[in-house]
Amino acid sequence: MIAIVKRVLLTFLLLLLSSLAVFAAIRLSGGDVTAARLPASATAEDRELFREQIGLNKPILTQYVDYLAKVAKGDLGNSLTNNAKISSLATEKIKNSLILGTAAIVLVFGIGIPLGMMAAFRRNSWLDTSISSASVAGMAIPNFWLALLVVWLFSSSLGWFPSAGQGGFKYLVLPSIVLAAEGIALTVRMTRSAMLENLSQDFVRTLRASGLSEGRIYFKHILRNSLLPIISLAGLRVGQIVGYALVVETIFGWPGVGQILVNGVLRRDYPIVQFFSLLLVVVVTLGNLAANVGYTLANPRLRK
Amino acid sequence: MNVFERALRNKQLVAGMVLGTLVLLLGIIGPIVFGDYAKQDLLMGHKPVGTPGFLFGTDALGRDLAARATFGIRISLVVAVSVTAIAVIMGTLIGLIAGYLKGTVDTVISWVVDFVWGFPLILVAVLAAASIGSGLLPVILAVGMVNTVAIARVVRGEVLGISEREFVVAARAGGYSTPRIVVRHIVPNVIPVALVLSSYYVAVAIIAEASLSFVGLGAQPPLPSLGQMVSDGRNFLRLNHWEATIPGAIIFVMVLSVSLIGDGLRDLLDPRLRTAVERAVSK
Repeated sequence: MIAIVKRVLLTFLLLLLSSLAVFAAIRLSGGDVTAARLPASATAEDRELFREQIGLNKPILTQYVDYLAKVAKGDLGNSLTNNAKISSLATEKIKNSLILGTAAIVLVFGIGIPLGMMAAFRRNSWLDTSISSASVAGMAIPNFWLALLVVWLFSSSLGWFPSAGQGGFKYLVLPSIVLAAEGIALTVRMTRSAMLENLSQDFVRTLRASGLSEGRIYFKHILRNSLLPIISLAGLRVGQIVGYALVVETIFGWPGVGQILVNGVLRRDYPIVQFFSLLLVVVVTLGNLAANVGYTLANPRLRK
Repeated sequence: MNVFERALRNKQLVAGMVLGTLVLLLGIIGPIVFGDYAKQDLLMGHKPVGTPGFLFGTDALGRDLAARATFGIRISLVVAVSVTAIAVIMGTLIGLIAGYLKGTVDTVISWVVDFVWGFPLILVAVLAAASIGSGLLPVILAVGMVNTVAIARVVRGEVLGISEREFVVAARAGGYSTPRIVVRHIVPNVIPVALVLSSYYVAVAIIAEASLSFVGLGAQPPLPSLGQMVSDGRNFLRLNHWEATIPGAIIFVMVLSVSLIGDGLRDLLDPRLRTAVERAVSK
């Protein structure tokens, strides 16, 4: 328990430090800020004055504290490119990303675990070989290329699903499958190998000797032992999905956090980049913390 | 059976090696054979595979896709392999220091390493691009940083386990110096793990480079990155799908080959893992 409390406190300390680092890093490109707002004819003095006026010349730490104070009051600043209030953009973007991310997580475990179980249950059969090969391929296929292939097939050729944008359920299908693809492949592999590893444990021999049916051993005893570590690590999948969402949202024109962040970087819109990158840093850190705590709780041996 | 025979019987390793060699050869020879990747001819745009003079056809600007794709392989491999190689060396060093010295040094290193390790490579690369601008440099920095901590994390764990084993205790009791113990007794036991992991991390690095270039934050034109070629080609799928499918397929084969090599090496080099798996499979 003490280990967990320590871990939580430490994570928050590191989070504070890393967000400061990200904050400072984004200011390295500060020279471009003036280009987004001032005409090309502006003199060097004008640019310097502008930086002074918007507070970019203060020490980083002061700027960071000022920024956190503003964020605490709900003032997230405005976009440089279109002056939109970030606070009003944020709710919409976060909601959209949550929808897509949740759908992907559901697919990762909802498809990955049953397939991994099937492969382990029928190990070395044609079913196992095809599931395992598909999972190797699934981990190797770059998701932007997969996106392009599914759009080509299901959208341009068959016309079943829209290729981009956001609307009803139909718009969610292709992006969530692409976003989940690697996680599914990974979960299949993890489930399969965890189940096979548990199969070789002594308790399985004892269960067999005591006359339990194979199916009961699998679905009750082995499954429970195998799934705990996999599900307790769900937080790590969150981090992975955040990373891939940057690409997948951009491809499918899904108006979420990933898309606005990538566009912000491309357009050098630093208030946007600042807020949404800090947001993702927080989300990923919390996901990792959840994975760490979950894993400790699920493994009695690690609970000191 | 010696290692070489075992390697030859390892289907994944052989398949990975064959595919990897093919891609490597394409990357080395291609740019020499196919010539200038930037030469354009707007009237020769969107030619399909097999057009005379253009093995893979041409892109929207009439540039030779074969020349561009093979040069793209070079960029991809240089970024992923060389940076991961440096990361393996640095990560192993950091892991050795943390795992063998233990104490405060280990605690602090582990905090940082665990923290950074949790971040997805693509996010780190996007943040790096936000900081120093688009290009290959942010990708290189991100790959270097994330892969270094990933290796350091595992090496540290291995070292912790190994340094408690009898042969290390015996060497210590025998009065050997710390550097000698580390170099002669610990490093050889850590290298297989680092090697197996590095092939997986090369795969992740290839995907990260391609993804960043795909969204426009990686390699900048006229450099022909495979990810960027897919991005350019996706607007012309109906006209000439090869512009997007060929570079995508090349990335897929590259990543597939390094992951197969990783799987193969794991079975070959890590006897603990192999026996565990074999025991399970043979029931």
